[in-house]
Amino acid sequence: MLAFIQDITNGSWGITLLLFLAVILVLYLARSFAHSAIKTCFETVYRGLRLFSAFILFSRKSLNQRNREVLLEQGREQIDRDLEKQFFEISKYIQRDLGGYPELQRKILEQVTKIQDDHDRSREVPLPSPDWLEAVEAVSKIDDQKKGGFGDNILKQIHKAAEIQHRESVANYRKEMAKRHKILQNIAPNWRKIAYSVDEVGNRLREVIRRSEIIDGYMERFNEVTSGSEKAVRSLKSSAITQFLISALVVAIAIGGAFFNFHLIALPMSEMVGSVERVGGVKVADLSALVIICLEISAGIFLLESLRITRLFPLIGSMDDRVRRVIMICAASVLLILACTESALAFMRDQIAADLELLRVSLSGSEPQAETPSGINEWIPLAANMTLGFILPLALTMVAIPLEYLLQTGRSVFGSLLEGVMNNIYLLLRVLANVFRQAGKLTINFYDLLIAAPLWIEAAVQKSMAKRAIIQNSQPKLQKLQDPIITETNSDDLDKQLTQGIKP
Amino acid sequence: MKTLVCKLRNWKRLLKVSLLIWVILQTLGCSGEENTKSYATGIYLLLDTSGTYTEELYRAKQVINFMLAYLEPGDAFAVARIDSGSFSEKDIIAKVVLDPRPSVANNQKREFANKITQFVDKAQSARYTDISGGILQGVEYLNEADVGSKNILIFSDLKEELPEGYVRKFKLELAGFNVHALNVTKLRSDNQNPQEYLDRLNRWQNQVTQGGGNWSVINDLEKPEALNFKI
Repeated sequence: MLAFIQDITNGSWGITLLLFLAVILVLYLARSFAHSAIKTCFETVYRGLRLFSAFILFSRKSLNQRNREVLLEQGREQIDRDLEKQFFEISKYIQRDLGGYPELQRKILEQVTKIQDDHDRSREVPLPSPDWLEAVEAVSKIDDQKKGGFGDNILKQIHKAAEIQHRESVANYRKEMAKRHKILQNIAPNWRKIAYSVDEVGNRLREVIRRSEIIDGYMERFNEVTSGSEKAVRSLKSSAITQFLISALVVAIAIGGAFFNFHLIALPMSEMVGSVERVGGVKVADLSALVIICLEISAGIFLLESLRITRLFPLIGSMDDRVRRVIMICAASVLLILACTESALAFMRDQIAADLELLRVSLSGSEPQAETPSGINEWIPLAANMTLGFILPLALTMVAIPLEYLLQTGRSVFGSLLEGVMNNIYLLLRVLANVFRQAGKLTINFYDLLIAAPLWIEAAVQKSMAKRAIIQNSQPKLQKLQDPIITETNSDDLDKQLTQGIKP
Repeated sequence: MKTLVCKLRNWKRLLKVSLLIWVILQTLGCSGEENTKSYATGIYLLLDTSGTYTEELYRAKQVINFMLAYLEPGDAFAVARIDSGSFSEKDIIAKVVLDPRPSVANNQKREFANKITQFVDKAQSARYTDISGGILQGVEYLNEADVGSKNILIFSDLKEELPEGYVRKFKLELAGFNVHALNVTKLRSDNQNPQEYLDRLNRWQNQVTQGGGNWSVINDLEKPEALNFKI
């Protein structure tokens, strides 16, 4: 541009100045159009950004609502499952422990009846008062009471008979008392039995109360989730993030296990399917090994589904028990067969690796090393390989549990992340929109700065014209009044009016 | 009308399923181009048996054994001697395309190594050195083997000496070939005038690169990575 100007002006300062003035003049003349264009441009961008930010905000709100619904639904399902488990356990408990309560009650009643009978039997029968007391009294009133007399003899006889009778009575009484004690002694175990039974019932009832309290807790949470309270959402979100991280860690470990498992069977698979053919650059042997691992994981998922441990496929869980058992047996059989196959492949891998090592040793020209007497270096890796080949597929089946958690919580976690990202975008767009708006104003001001000189001239001209017009209008009045003070005052007003008049 | 709508829906479903299968196949790389692409490595090793170079054959044997150890099922390997007229299948000492099964491939490698040992033990020095003919034979072999990586290894001092009447004035077609000169020993005359050695190397380099091939010289055979020609 500068070169172009230099070409035109040929380095002459006069012409350059002229050109500059011409540009200023053009800018001054196009001022209102330029202002309008600049304003429209920046306003368009501003409006666009505002609109986009509004759209982002709306999407974020929709996403937030959706996330909230998903989270609450998942929470509700989880509590549903927990409640179902608790009810199942309490039902099992009641059936097992409190199901025999009528029997227990019958036993207690029997014991009580028996105790009642025994108690009745052990009741003390009062001894009858002797009938001959009146006779003794009568005899004692006889006059012949001297020693060796008739009365004395009778009384002695009576005393003797009374003593005999007393001894017999005491003996009988003791005998009866012994019987009663024996009966009472027999009552003691029954009391203990009843006490034990009552304690047992009490313990069982306490367990029922404890479980019912747990259920109450779940019900409280269930109500909170159903009502969709903020507390429940926060709790569920925090729980989802924790579960997501833990399950991601476990899945990562499982992937590591699968990777190890893959390397364990990839080489022997090449012995079975060959290692030359490729699909998409990947060896068919490697793909076959991957397929076997995927089959193991699938069988594991089906096994856990049929056991109702996971709920990735609700259809399996809701199937008839007989069908579910069939699926379970099939999945377990497939898993066992695959585990045995892997163990065999691990054995084959060891053989191939040993053969390859032998080949390399022979090709290098060195003599193969003598075997250790115990052969310990051979069978330990072989046994380890085979064991791992058998264990790893079974261990991989457990991946279904963290996988289910990962899938369930992943949605809400990623939803929350996306929400955060959208929030930031919204903020950024709002800031950008304001930046563009202010930039538009700044550009207009800068434009006016470029044409400051013509603007100043315009203002000065307008001021002088306005002043002249006002003076012309006020001339006749001045002539009429001829008052210098008033004229001075009017002159001040005139200046004020002029100042106001030139303002755009 | 309802039947038509149903048919249209079925067609839509079919189209969707076809599209999905196509996408999966494309992702897996099952297109025809991918299937025809070979990932195998092909190596054609030329052994110079002229003059005093026969003394270097024991080193060549070590190199061959090293390469055998690291070749994989599906790879093609051939060893041929350079003598008076090397453009002949008769000069191929041993050749093998390794079986897809590793155990069979290992046995093939053992047989191959035995053949090379027998050759090295009984090798007699040739009067002339027809390197160009050997390279041409190698090009033919590797093209037929249909391998992904084509490597011609020349275990020689690169001094070509043709018998009378043999013409080797042709342009080598070496597009997609890697030509490696191994153990290029210096001759006595090279010591007197090193320029001869440099000229000899330059001549072969020009011939290979003009034919579209890649050229390299590997004199330090102790480095295992120098002899790794896998894709």
